[in-house]
Amino acid sequence: MQFDDVHRVEKAKKRAIVNQSEARNRVELFRHLPQYVHGTQLPDLESKFFQLEPIHPSVYKVGLQYLSGEVSGGNGRCIAMLLAFREAIKDYSTPPNKTLSRDLTAKVGSYVSFFIECRPLSISMGNAIRFLKNRIAKLPITLSESEAKASLQSDIDRFINEKIVVADQVIVSHAITKVRDDDVLLTYGSSSVVEMILEHAHELGRKFRVIVVDSRPKLEGQGLLRRLVAKGINCTYTHINAVSYIMHEVTRVFLGASSILSNGTVYSRVGTASVAMVAHAFGIPVLVCCEAYKFHERVQLDSICANELGDPDVISKIPGRADLGDLKNWADNENLQLLNLTYDATPSDYVSMIITDYGMLPPTSVPVIVREYRKEQLWV
Amino acid sequence: MELDAAQNPNPEPPISAYYQTRAEHHAVVSSDWLDHAAAAASLPDAHADADAAPPPSPGSNGGGVIEEFNFWRRKPEAAEAVAAIMALAAVIRSSRATTMMELEIELKKASDKLKSWDATSISLSAACDLFMRFVTRTSHLEHEKFDAAKSRLIERGEKFGEISLKARKTIAMLSQDFISDGCTMLVHGYSRVVLEILKLAASNRKLFRVLCTEGRPDRTGLRMSNELAALGIPVKVLIDSAVAYSMDEVDMVFVGADGVVESGGIINMMGTYQIALVAHSMNKPLYVAAESYKFARLYPLDQKDMTPAHRPIDFGVPIPAGVEVETSARDYTPPQYLTLLLTDLGVLTPSVVSDELIQLYL
Repeated sequence: MQFDDVHRVEKAKKRAIVNQSEARNRVELFRHLPQYVHGTQLPDLESKFFQLEPIHPSVYKVGLQYLSGEVSGGNGRCIAMLLAFREAIKDYSTPPNKTLSRDLTAKVGSYVSFFIECRPLSISMGNAIRFLKNRIAKLPITLSESEAKASLQSDIDRFINEKIVVADQVIVSHAITKVRDDDVLLTYGSSSVVEMILEHAHELGRKFRVIVVDSRPKLEGQGLLRRLVAKGINCTYTHINAVSYIMHEVTRVFLGASSILSNGTVYSRVGTASVAMVAHAFGIPVLVCCEAYKFHERVQLDSICANELGDPDVISKIPGRADLGDLKNWADNENLQLLNLTYDATPSDYVSMIITDYGMLPPTSVPVIVREYRKEQLWV
Repeated sequence: MELDAAQNPNPEPPISAYYQTRAEHHAVVSSDWLDHAAAAASLPDAHADADAAPPPSPGSNGGGVIEEFNFWRRKPEAAEAVAAIMALAAVIRSSRATTMMELEIELKKASDKLKSWDATSISLSAACDLFMRFVTRTSHLEHEKFDAAKSRLIERGEKFGEISLKARKTIAMLSQDFISDGCTMLVHGYSRVVLEILKLAASNRKLFRVLCTEGRPDRTGLRMSNELAALGIPVKVLIDSAVAYSMDEVDMVFVGADGVVESGGIINMMGTYQIALVAHSMNKPLYVAAESYKFARLYPLDQKDMTPAHRPIDFGVPIPAGVEVETSARDYTPPQYLTLLLTDLGVLTPSVVSDELIQLYL
């Protein structure tokens, strides 16, 4: 939805469960995106719990976890959502005079719009929802309700296992061949699959060093750093400001991705594009690790058309630096807008290789994977 | 294993058997350069006598595959990969297996044996993998009777062998559109596919000129220029370091490939990368002629990211003690420096290589 379209926004507001308070000082170029207003919603939503009948409790719980940021990361959010749907399907019973496939699709649709109100969907979640709706629509009419529910639950389990858990193992087994002794590996932020690669390489006894590059405001790299150091891996921690300084000693750059689009563009945590570009300028190979279920047939050329806005307050407030109060009442100044983007788009020129569950591919082969993946989904 | 040691011309790992075989087949030692030139004029194929020996009857044990492989390999016209394909096809034919599973295991063993025979040869392992995929791909084989399934495998194996044998001719035909009258082309080292292309172009009465690099260390370029001159094509030999100097008079560059990798780049004889860089910076098209059995599921990220293949280099004078010699036999050319790949699957852009590989291995 275009959020700069006044009429449609009005309509959506009437339907909404989550209280949509108007964000102030919107950045002109990003008016079409859903504005960040999450801070005030959490207590409001919590108090509504008993009034909202149609939302299944497990769905509600996951929605609140998205809202509070407790569950994050492409895979984490997708698995949490699917497990919530699984619970909801388990407790589902078809209302009288309705058919399961139609009513359940509508139900899933309402859950999804609840999730969207909590936080815009990631592409991985979108693909998983498409899979589930497709499975519901394709249920044979002859199945009884309990059989249909069992079949859907096992479909969800299979999706989580095949497309996420096993896919990650396959990616690790491919990526490990690119880690040699005496390598210096750089990673940005915190990607679950990159973490698995580094840990596995360490278990195999490869002698390498890791540089964790991090950025404000989320500082997700610190969690990764703590886990890697605990495993005994030699690490360096730096912020993205120093990436051009540190890059000359790096031999490989490993990045995670939120999605890979069909022109080879990598859609990932904001800052990834800068890291990839600096690595490219230094002639260092950039390896992007991403499960095939996150691939999308859309094409995107910039980070403006589709993106997610984060809380602008977290860039104005720096914890532990009360003396930096220059932006204290920034919202009162009409001429000042703060922009906290969540994702950016890395052009395929800066990517040397994409590691997926289908093997190691050049970015030009993404459309092939999207095509083959679709085919597989149709047959399954 | 003892048998392997006896057959492999160079069992010691540091020296690549693949490049040694190539050197034996294609190199020209400077002392007999003139004799060779004279011989080439009278006898078109000095190695033709190898054809006289009958193929050994392969046993069902793994040793047979190596014998069969060596029989095919000795012919300088047959690529090592085609020899492997023929040998594997022979394994199916002579197999005494009674179930599909047994046959597949036997085939797998033979293929692994071939691959381990020379780990440095990319086309050998690629051809073995591709043969296995091509022959055993469809799953409905399991529902057939064993004899019917086996004869189908034999049929497919032979078909694959036939395609591979014909590949060079197909490529030569496809590439004729790229050669226009009056053009000058640069070739690097000795490549049988490139020679086939130029031969066909010459027989089509195209008028063109060829610049041949010397192709150190085994000087395969001299052999190339020798054969081209015998065909009446104007040819000029350059030392490898004169490529940039001569590039402005070149219209296009033709190279072969030892292996085509998943990125669409190629692994080829040392020097290809720098020729590609020079051609790219001077905006000259570079065409790679490669048979599809050289498509390998490899993805080197840089020059050092490959199984090392070494060969001895003769500098003519003794190397002073304490001086290291770079003996690597091949380099990797990334896809952005290649214009087109001329293969038996058609004329491809580098990015299509990975499409073909995905479809075959998915």
